[in-house]
Amino acid sequence: MTKVITKEDLLSWLRQLAEKYAIIAPVTSNGVTLYKSVGSSEIDKINLNFSKTELSPKNWFFPPSETLFTIVKDELPRIIPASVDREAILFGLRPCDAKGIALIDKAFLAEPADVFYQEKRDKTTLIGLACLSPCLECFCTSVGGGPADLTHLDILLTETAEGYITQATTEKGKQLLTGAPRQEKEIIPPVLPSLNLILAEGITELMPRVFNDAYWDRVADRCIHCNICAYVCPCCYCFDIRDYVSKGKIERVRSWESCQSPGFTRLAGGYDPRPTKGAHFRQRWYHKLLYFPPIFGDIKCTGCGRCVRSCPVNIDIREIITDVQRMKV
Amino acid sequence: MIEEIRNKAKELLETKTVDCVIGYEPATDNLTSRPVFIYEPSQVNRLIFDETCVHNLSKYLINRRYKPTGIVAKPCDTRGINLLLNEKQLRRENLFIIGVVCSGIRKVRFNQIENSMPTKCQYCSQHTPVIYDFLVGEPVTEAPTHNYSDITEIENMSPAQRKAFWSEHFDRCIRCYGCRQVCAGCYCYECFGDELDPLWVGIRIAPGENWVWNTVRAFHLSARCIACGECEHICPVNIPLMLVNRKLEKDTLHLFDFEPGIDTEIVPPFATYKKEDKLGTGE
Amino acid sequence: MMSINPFIPYQATLKEVINLTPDIKLLNLELTVPELQNNFDYKPGQFAFLSAYGVGEAPFGFVSLAYRKSGIEFAVRRIGTVTAALHELEPGATIGLRGPFGNYFPLEDYKGKNIFIIGGGIGMAPLRPVINFILDHRAEYGNLLIINGARTPKDLVFANEFDTWAKAPRTQLELTVDKGDQNWKGREALVPAVVTELKPSPVNTIAITCGPPIMIRFTLAALKGLGFANNQIVTTLEQKMKCGMGKCARCNVGDKYVCKDGPVFTFEQISKFLEQY
Repeated sequence: MTKVITKEDLLSWLRQLAEKYAIIAPVTSNGVTLYKSVGSSEIDKINLNFSKTELSPKNWFFPPSETLFTIVKDELPRIIPASVDREAILFGLRPCDAKGIALIDKAFLAEPADVFYQEKRDKTTLIGLACLSPCLECFCTSVGGGPADLTHLDILLTETAEGYITQATTEKGKQLLTGAPRQEKEIIPPVLPSLNLILAEGITELMPRVFNDAYWDRVADRCIHCNICAYVCPCCYCFDIRDYVSKGKIERVRSWESCQSPGFTRLAGGYDPRPTKGAHFRQRWYHKLLYFPPIFGDIKCTGCGRCVRSCPVNIDIREIITDVQRMKV
Repeated sequence: MIEEIRNKAKELLETKTVDCVIGYEPATDNLTSRPVFIYEPSQVNRLIFDETCVHNLSKYLINRRYKPTGIVAKPCDTRGINLLLNEKQLRRENLFIIGVVCSGIRKVRFNQIENSMPTKCQYCSQHTPVIYDFLVGEPVTEAPTHNYSDITEIENMSPAQRKAFWSEHFDRCIRCYGCRQVCAGCYCYECFGDELDPLWVGIRIAPGENWVWNTVRAFHLSARCIACGECEHICPVNIPLMLVNRKLEKDTLHLFDFEPGIDTEIVPPFATYKKEDKLGTGE
Repeated sequence: MMSINPFIPYQATLKEVINLTPDIKLLNLELTVPELQNNFDYKPGQFAFLSAYGVGEAPFGFVSLAYRKSGIEFAVRRIGTVTAALHELEPGATIGLRGPFGNYFPLEDYKGKNIFIIGGGIGMAPLRPVINFILDHRAEYGNLLIINGARTPKDLVFANEFDTWAKAPRTQLELTVDKGDQNWKGREALVPAVVTELKPSPVNTIAITCGPPIMIRFTLAALKGLGFANNQIVTTLEQKMKCGMGKCARCNVGDKYVCKDGPVFTFEQISKFLEQY
């Protein structure tokens, strides 16, 4: 016997949870599916059958922009730190996106922890939806994930004709599930989809030898150096910090930044230690595949395929990995 | 058609007329296409041309302005080349343009080809490249027509409705600057979006700043946008940028009788002053 | 030592401003929280972010020594928006200070060794506390040779300390400029050429250099020509930084973050980076 929750019960449970928690869930409008805050009266807007959201759920913990603190200009600057007002449920994550959050955790929760990120992280419960119809560009199983991987979630829901199978993996998840209207049913679990495999294993060891290869400049020919890949990525986390002034109030703001943008490494005065487009381009792949792993224990990719799908000029991480593997040095 | 392009590319590379030909090759979805830079004559068989060749490759010429370069260009893309020539960003003698006659391409996304044409093709009457050194296909002699029915709806909105409409779209902008990076008309050494001193628009990715970014970007392209539609096509959050661009195009046509990128010699309206310009002072 | 939220600066009062050169000012700060004033510790080579509130913050190396308790000092060259704003401030102004961050020169390990300091322009800033530390512990170190170079005589930093440095025992101060003026009687030579000319022995010596990238590159070659090994040459790297904690990834070079694993590196470490520095 398996515990399941019907779609109707799931929605009414969420409606009930929305009274206490902020619910962040996939909503489709204007042709794009994004994680949005939905109130109890908007639960029906949640798209339960999306394939992949255009932007990843990292936005919730690491928003495109956030105020780190505010200074009210009176006699002496008084710093008023930003804080999160209530607990949240991030609903409808794919397992790959949960892994993306786990990868950002490694960097942001390392000592000294990023308190802004940590506060949101601590106050949020992750409810995932198993991925039963992955997109053609997906390759989570090639980088250690899987369509029903519950490692980085608090609760995983798997859709069947009888309702959603519920699995809680953490104490937080178990606590939350106790309030869910579930039934015991005889369920045949769905067959999980198989994904195209690329052999990403061993890529970290291969990267150093091809660093100076002309390959990077040649692929960078095509790259238009926009920030799309970094901004749609569930585990890219570079940022910029600047001050804002308005009406006697100063805000220190953190915003997303991308290694592809022209000012990423340029110092005041104009000197840029990483001056060429090819070197900017290469940094993205070296950070993901070579530099991140020894520090944090994993390659910085979840196989979600967003960068592959959204790249205007088809820069495809799967192709880069296979090209590197084929390169003769 | 593709053999003609490949043969010409091969000839250009073999005779060292150019050292690179920019064209299209199949993308990794084996369905759509992507830009490719061909440096070796032996590589010309990678080149393709079909209804998925959406990219406007003229932007790439800016980085290669001092190097002899061949380029495969659709009619709308050749308007981009003309724009850059007109604004003295390229040297004509360094260019070899393989123009391709085009009756419209398909709406494409990665792993996906739709049956319909993108808006830019639905309203396009320029089927023959406006500038070329070698033409692929039979030139079409057709009087250009102008149809702006796609923007009637937004023109008929009240200012408040229009503001609400754009707020909804600009609110989800993530300021990836994809629209800028892909645009042939965006080549400032330092974009106002990146400039710190003076600070025109802050780094905050939020409604106010997004509004400034998108509107100022549009103004910088007025009487310059060549309607290739790339900004809208690549926008990761589906902002209908062509509605703004098309409105600017329509106004430019009606006020100044000018279409950007059609000619390399006519001085663009915002680069000159003429007494007969309809928006004079106090008239 | 770090505040609970490492993104929130301590408040500091600007006590004194000294013009070091036409475009470099020495800012002397005091933290406003009394408990911190006497136990704010930092070491030569470490850095802090200074906030010009309303404009932003940028990283600067400490140029003072914490144990001297004569204020927290930074040398700020006017080069961008934040430094321009810091230059506008007058004594009494409030500045934000976040730090200390990064590693430091392992001066304890250098005891008994000869020290060769090579600084160019504002690159002398992080080297000044090294010099003053050695002078404060003079008996514990071997010979001290200092080359301080700048574009013109008026661009030489810490001129008011030259006498003290030059008169210290077993200490030699060599000044050089790219181009002199009518009053300049000293050297007109590029820093790397002076290194080669002075020929200090690499035996039991540590060379510490900081300056513009082009100077570093040729100084490195000059030192190697004299027989210095990569692990005898130490520098402090400058990189764009936003957080100071290895998070924003702006200063990422290989598997290192300059803010947290640096800014002090030996050339043995730098030579292992895939990127050229």
